[in-house]
Amino acid sequence: MSKSEIAQIRPKSIGTSIPRREDPGLLTGRARYIADIVLPDMLHIAILRSPVAHGRIRHIDVAAAQAMPGVELVWTGQDCVARCPGITSSLEQAGFAVTVQPLLAHDEICFVGEGIAVVVAHSRAQAEDALERIDVDIEELPVVTDALTAVDGADLANAAVASNMIYHSNRVTDPVDEAFASAALTVEGRFKTPRVNASPMETRGFVASHDWTSAALTCWSATQMPSFIKTMIAIFLQFPEQNLEVITPAVGGGFGQKAHLHPEELLVCMLSIELGRPVSWIEDRQENLFRAPQAKQQLNEMALAVDNDGRFLALRDRVTTDSGAYNSLPWTPLVEGHAGILVATDPYRISALSAESLSVATNKCPIGAYRGVGFSAPTLAREVLIDRAARKLGLSPFEIRRRNVIRQEDFPYQTRAGMMIREGSFLETVDRLEAMVGYEDFRKRQQEARKEGRLLGLGISIFSEISGIGTRALNFLDYPLTSHDTATVRVEPTGKVTVTTGIVTSGQGHPTTLAQIAADAFGIPVEDVTILAGSTHHAVGFGTVASRSAVFGAGTIGRAAEIVRGRMRAVAARLLQATSDEIEMAQGLVHVRDDPGRGMPFAAVAGAAYFAEATHPEDFDPALEATAAFDPSDIVLANGGHAVIVEIDLETCMARVEKMYAVEDCGRMINPMIVEGQIRGGMAQGVGMTLLEELIHDDRGQLTTSTFQDYLLPTSRDIPDIEISHLETPSSLVPGGIKGMGESAMISTPAAVAGAVNDALACFDVAIEQFPASPQRIFEALSEAAVLDGASLPN
Amino acid sequence: MRRADEDQKMGVVATVNGRERRFEVLPRVSLADSLREELGLYGVRVGCEHGVCGACTIIVDDLPVRSCLMLGVQADGKTIRTVESLGGGKELHPLQQAFQRHHALQCGFCTSGILATAQALLEENPCPTRDEVREVLSGNICRCTGYQTIVDAIMDYAACAQANDTAFDAGAGESAT
Ligand code: FES
Ligand code: FES
Repeated sequence: MSKSEIAQIRPKSIGTSIPRREDPGLLTGRARYIADIVLPDMLHIAILRSPVAHGRIRHIDVAAAQAMPGVELVWTGQDCVARCPGITSSLEQAGFAVTVQPLLAHDEICFVGEGIAVVVAHSRAQAEDALERIDVDIEELPVVTDALTAVDGADLANAAVASNMIYHSNRVTDPVDEAFASAALTVEGRFKTPRVNASPMETRGFVASHDWTSAALTCWSATQMPSFIKTMIAIFLQFPEQNLEVITPAVGGGFGQKAHLHPEELLVCMLSIELGRPVSWIEDRQENLFRAPQAKQQLNEMALAVDNDGRFLALRDRVTTDSGAYNSLPWTPLVEGHAGILVATDPYRISALSAESLSVATNKCPIGAYRGVGFSAPTLAREVLIDRAARKLGLSPFEIRRRNVIRQEDFPYQTRAGMMIREGSFLETVDRLEAMVGYEDFRKRQQEARKEGRLLGLGISIFSEISGIGTRALNFLDYPLTSHDTATVRVEPTGKVTVTTGIVTSGQGHPTTLAQIAADAFGIPVEDVTILAGSTHHAVGFGTVASRSAVFGAGTIGRAAEIVRGRMRAVAARLLQATSDEIEMAQGLVHVRDDPGRGMPFAAVAGAAYFAEATHPEDFDPALEATAAFDPSDIVLANGGHAVIVEIDLETCMARVEKMYAVEDCGRMINPMIVEGQIRGGMAQGVGMTLLEELIHDDRGQLTTSTFQDYLLPTSRDIPDIEISHLETPSSLVPGGIKGMGESAMISTPAAVAGAVNDALACFDVAIEQFPASPQRIFEALSEAAVLDGASLPN
Repeated sequence: MRRADEDQKMGVVATVNGRERRFEVLPRVSLADSLREELGLYGVRVGCEHGVCGACTIIVDDLPVRSCLMLGVQADGKTIRTVESLGGGKELHPLQQAFQRHHALQCGFCTSGILATAQALLEENPCPTRDEVREVLSGNICRCTGYQTIVDAIMDYAACAQANDTAFDAGAGESAT
């Protein structure tokens, strides 16, 4: 049977907003996060982090640190490299520059915050005290901070990356010159998205406990990818995988940042093995801002050719991703610009695309995944350009999109990058958003406001999202990876159901939504299902990343349940004197189709399989337990759009979001309340990235925004109430018609916010292309238009 | 006066979640860490340790306080309430129920602090406006929810409490954890 087989699930609990079963533990403080894992005899570490962005360690002396109270062990990079050379991150692509990130630098240091030495002590405070006694002599090397000039520059950010070029790609290079030459209108811009930090409220952390008597290494990780981490520990530390367990406690948000193998994780394992005691690493916020994978920083030099009717003719994009000093694992910087150019045209019919992506090494923290990764930046550039074209042609931003989105009659539509779009509700999204916003009224209100000296702006964005990323999607994005999950479903003798899954949660509600899926697979109440997750002993999964858990949960549980259902049907058929094909399961009953009177309780059939051999058909396999894998047969696409209204205060030059709207089509929703939660949270992050958040490095590579006082996250005053509307185009590739959607709001909200700021400024004929649109940048734009000297606003 | 010796633990006596507790703590340890490590109140979350995120918010003498900015020794003689005092029995406190009903939490890491902030607000102002709630909440960062459902939950709770004529009953389900 194929791993992409679509099992039958009859939605009943699916589609309802049942409250989350994990909430009581979280609401009462009983849930245990990584920092709450306390083991007898446990030691704590602190890591000495490089104060310089590029250098070479001349000499390091740890003797004084070693002698400090409570210190058990101090290691330098030399101690580490003898045991593990580091995290090798490569992709089987010609021209891809492989990097090896040492767990602690032993020679070359490539960014501020890179680990140099580690102290293990009885408390974190003692370990930090000892750090201060470590004496390091670093020879400083030239620092590369600007990705744009790095390629031709003489200085290398990392000696392993020639010309600072990690990967240069140009998979789609249609001849577009003619289209641009003949176009009625060309709009173009240089769009800079900021370097940001996903900033989950819980920082990263890892605990390892090695027991030599059993040879077991038990780890606790605040991770989104426990199975992956487990296998990487086995490979990089050559540790027997059968003796390894990675447990995921409650995780305080991840958003992609916790979907990597971090050097600290391997380090903590090595220390626990070395010392034979549990070792804990709990990152502090400053470390997180310095060292946790950063995200999104890139330049999109994009141009769109448009004809007189506002139809898109061709798109050109050149992306430079500021990748940092090493490739993160597993994503590498290709997850930004390279993935981005392959989805740059997504919801629109654009028949010619020419795009290239440069992933450039700099002396900064490695870039990695953060919600909407790959999509956010090109979507922002494209949508702002579309608004600009609409203004020039005198079209409404809705109308120009209506004229260009992929329509029903276009399906299947193959994008120039090669993605097949089989379904979606792009046109309906535009119409729905327009109605929600009340476009005509908004323009009137905008005019009125201008008379009062207030600047309003409207931005909209239409997106499609590669959700439920499996092997096909990864291969499309040039990742030579295989990605399926498994689940095990067991019907207990009393008719209750236990599901073991590799899917872990960092707030997305899987203990609840997966139970809804399993309940509907058997036609039983959701209370009768338990979801076991959080240990790699349970099942295999690629991770809670890339909006994939709903898809893989439905796929794996559906397929495993189908196997068990077949066996229960065989027993029931015998008991009810019918054929297996006629047997159905619904409302806690197993009955003959169309004849619920000829039926028996689900639990009775389970009991018969376990305890009454006389009821078994010949050659019956009584295991009411099955494991199955799932990997969708093709890319699962969700879609939708966002609209944002901002007001710019002319006094403070601050842009404030007044109202936000979302249209989401993720097929059939498992739990609408949870879907809406994902939208609201993602939209808030989108506002952060576009108006507030920016990791700023000076030209020495020093991070100048290293606390939450400088790195500004959106608060309850920055995010207004959000209006949400749903469309439903069920997936034909996933049981129940389900699609993923967790990333969607971060794919397209930044574009809508950026569009709104530019709409507000358009009356002065100025634009902002560098984000976040901070008061400083808005001030500069307004100064350019000379509006700040009290002149009245144009009508 | 006792001398605050760097590595000498000091004794603290405080009323914590309705019970008198005595513990010893180094003078440099924050109140957040003291409550977690000395009293096992792991519901106190630490998100930034510099007073910005609000995750560590608890109630000290009826005021919301960032426990990462206070030292453990400063708790001496104070009355402290942590999330463990809400709904500590066998069911959720109505405020917690409202949070669940409205999906006012996702990862839950900010939740202890937000409940404390809400609790302190409602004790002082039992029927706040939406704007007032948003204003008070702005000291607590939530990275998951976008805040709207948190405001919904607090408003809903306040409306119910109003209708049932019950002011904020902090003692409901109080435990001695
Ligand atoms: S941990 Fe206390 S305010 Fe962030
Ligand atoms: S629920 Fe995750 S930070 Fe608020």
